[in-house]
Amino acid sequence: MKTKAAIVGVGQTHYKSYHNYTLPELSMQAAVAALDDAGMTINDIDAVVYSMGPSEFLGVNEPDKWCVDAAGGRDNPFMRIHTGGATGLSAAQAGFHHVAAGLFDAVLVVGADKVRECIDSQQVLNTIWDPLYERQFGLTTITMAAFQAVRHMYRYGTKEEQMALVAVRSWGNACNNPVAHLKGHITVDDVMTSPYYCWPVKKYDMCPSSAGGAAIVIVSKKKAMKLSTRPAWIRGCSEVANTVFLGDQMGGRSEMDFADSDILAMAAKAAYSQAGIRNPAKEIQVAELYAPFTVCELSMVEALGFCRKGESGRLNEEGFFNMNGGIAVNPSGGTLCANAIAITALARVCDGALQVMGKAPPKMQVKNVRNAVCTGEGGSFQFHAVMVLSADYY
Amino acid sequence: MGRGVAILGVGMTRIEGAKKDQKLDDMVFEASSKALAEASVTRDDIDSVVISGCDELDGRCISSMLLAMPAGAYLKDETKVTDEGCYGVILAAMRLMTGLFDLSLVVSWCKTSEAPVSDVMRMRWDPFYHRPFGMNHITSSALMAGVYKSRYSLPLEIPARVVVKNRKSGAKNLNAHLQSPVKLQEVRTSPVVSWPLRVLDCAPESDGACALVLASSRKARELKRDPVWLSGFGWAADSYYLGGRDLSDLRSLRIAAGKAYKMAKIKNPLKEIDIAEVSDFSSYHELMVYEGLGFCNPGQAQDLIKEGFTDREGALPVNPSGGLLSSNPFTASGLFRVCEAYLQVAGNAGNHQVKGVKRALAHGSSGFCAQGNAVFILSQ
Repeated sequence: MKTKAAIVGVGQTHYKSYHNYTLPELSMQAAVAALDDAGMTINDIDAVVYSMGPSEFLGVNEPDKWCVDAAGGRDNPFMRIHTGGATGLSAAQAGFHHVAAGLFDAVLVVGADKVRECIDSQQVLNTIWDPLYERQFGLTTITMAAFQAVRHMYRYGTKEEQMALVAVRSWGNACNNPVAHLKGHITVDDVMTSPYYCWPVKKYDMCPSSAGGAAIVIVSKKKAMKLSTRPAWIRGCSEVANTVFLGDQMGGRSEMDFADSDILAMAAKAAYSQAGIRNPAKEIQVAELYAPFTVCELSMVEALGFCRKGESGRLNEEGFFNMNGGIAVNPSGGTLCANAIAITALARVCDGALQVMGKAPPKMQVKNVRNAVCTGEGGSFQFHAVMVLSADYY
Repeated sequence: MGRGVAILGVGMTRIEGAKKDQKLDDMVFEASSKALAEASVTRDDIDSVVISGCDELDGRCISSMLLAMPAGAYLKDETKVTDEGCYGVILAAMRLMTGLFDLSLVVSWCKTSEAPVSDVMRMRWDPFYHRPFGMNHITSSALMAGVYKSRYSLPLEIPARVVVKNRKSGAKNLNAHLQSPVKLQEVRTSPVVSWPLRVLDCAPESDGACALVLASSRKARELKRDPVWLSGFGWAADSYYLGGRDLSDLRSLRIAAGKAYKMAKIKNPLKEIDIAEVSDFSSYHELMVYEGLGFCNPGQAQDLIKEGFTDREGALPVNPSGGLLSSNPFTASGLFRVCEAYLQVAGNAGNHQVKGVKRALAHGSSGFCAQGNAVFILSQ
């Protein structure tokens, strides 16, 4: 793919609980931070893409309309993207499509969410399933993740301790990220002795409910050359959809297995081919993954081609995914340490871009990053989106 | 050089008050399959799917989870614009223009018969300032109609004539929800729902799904088609806060139309456009849309109606399909306008075809008091 656009500005609020700010206010804080970072003002923006997932956590329907003014959408082309958990990455891709189509020079992708203030987010998440078949089983994202964990354990002999290590590493990495919601030096033992929510998923295997805002500024190649000495070039974009029904995602005539993120592998293949990446394990230095549960990360690094299926547990133990390992996975702490659903995947793009631009906070910055891969995952593990960011435009 | 993006075919379900024998999935599947058949392509040829719908009206908090599959997105590159259906056309067109995709489905739906529409709309307001007023889509629309009416001393007969015009056209459209013409007196004496809007001034609530197949110019050439071209599109949003807006003026529509005309190289829309399919969620709104689209100066829309300029037989027929006043599948209505405009340019509108349409305009609108607007120009 001929490189046509780049990220030149990134903005995030601190992820935590916000009782004192509304959704438009959080959106605006993120938007202003991203514009400041890019050295631009809202007058330089030609179009706005709003990243907003399920509105039910917030209790305001179609809240993007409420945020038009605060997000700089007034008198501008403005649209909302919503693909569940993958929303932020889908919105970033839509922003990329605005620019790559040749219609706009500078697009602001912005969003915010207040899942933290929702009384019971799992109750809301039950309504993502079909009212006639799957809703009655009491499916939530936690029970769904438990299915994947059990399947990964059965198929590859993955141990609970190996999953626990993912949490230990993420929490440790988050200590270097000033905007992370949860952080700290925890041990495998802490994770193993935390209460089960749905076997084998324990408290520390899960992401928090957070609130916060995130934004990026995407500009055309010409403008990027002028504005930034080191932008994050958007080199590959893809998002693939699978069926909603968990039972149809494996078995029978399906060649896929619920243990594996095969849809992510499809999306990654397309994005890598656009970016000219042949050997992801060698050519990618940083991965910012939308992994809301520890098992998801093990499954995803395999799908992204960093190792073969079933190897991730062992490599994780060997430290391959640590900050100074072969590929730094979630140097920001990732989704396990902050999850404001509508913008969590956008935060992955923010953190990936920071690494490529060399602007991550000192201890969070990985050395010599040429390529970073960012992902988003939505629905019943059915939507997977991938974006490849690069320090080079060729 | 290509000519932008081509439309190869559309598919629509019958629009009805209540589709009792079809689930939402069935409606979406029907529209999508029809569009593929009409465009003479198969699902295998599709490499991009853009869908659009309203989660809250669907009663599912990630509606695309269930509807991406019947829309044809299984293992395809798929995304969802959660706005008025016609915004799907914008994103799909941009995706094709990047050169990364060749053939895209755009699908939208709405099943108002199973949704508490008024409650969903009330919950759209922010909880602090607007929600306590208890406004829904009808009352906020009435607010806009009231401002427009007083500002330009609009005779009550004018909006009633818009209703008569659209319902007369709707009676010819075999796909419309309301296929019965109404008389001027009926409109003027129908009960007031929210002053100045009477029952017949407002669009009904309907069920329906529709889909389009869009192709890059490269793909359209390769398939050796003589398609309808999407020669221009534009969209924009206005402020959320009604107090900060001039409700008699559709500012974001003027901006959107300006962008679409520029892209399609249209200088005089009144002369260069043959028909327009606009989102008239009330009769007053259609008048305001004429002004937003630059068909006349502010306050002069009533003259166009008096002269019969926008009648079926007029110089610029508006809503030959009957518009929203005849069928209104709510958040899919704008995409239905694009489908109807396509049918008119392709010469496939059947019973309600207007003769000699070379260039058509379609308009979709979303949010309270038409906060967001999108305009499309379709050409031969």
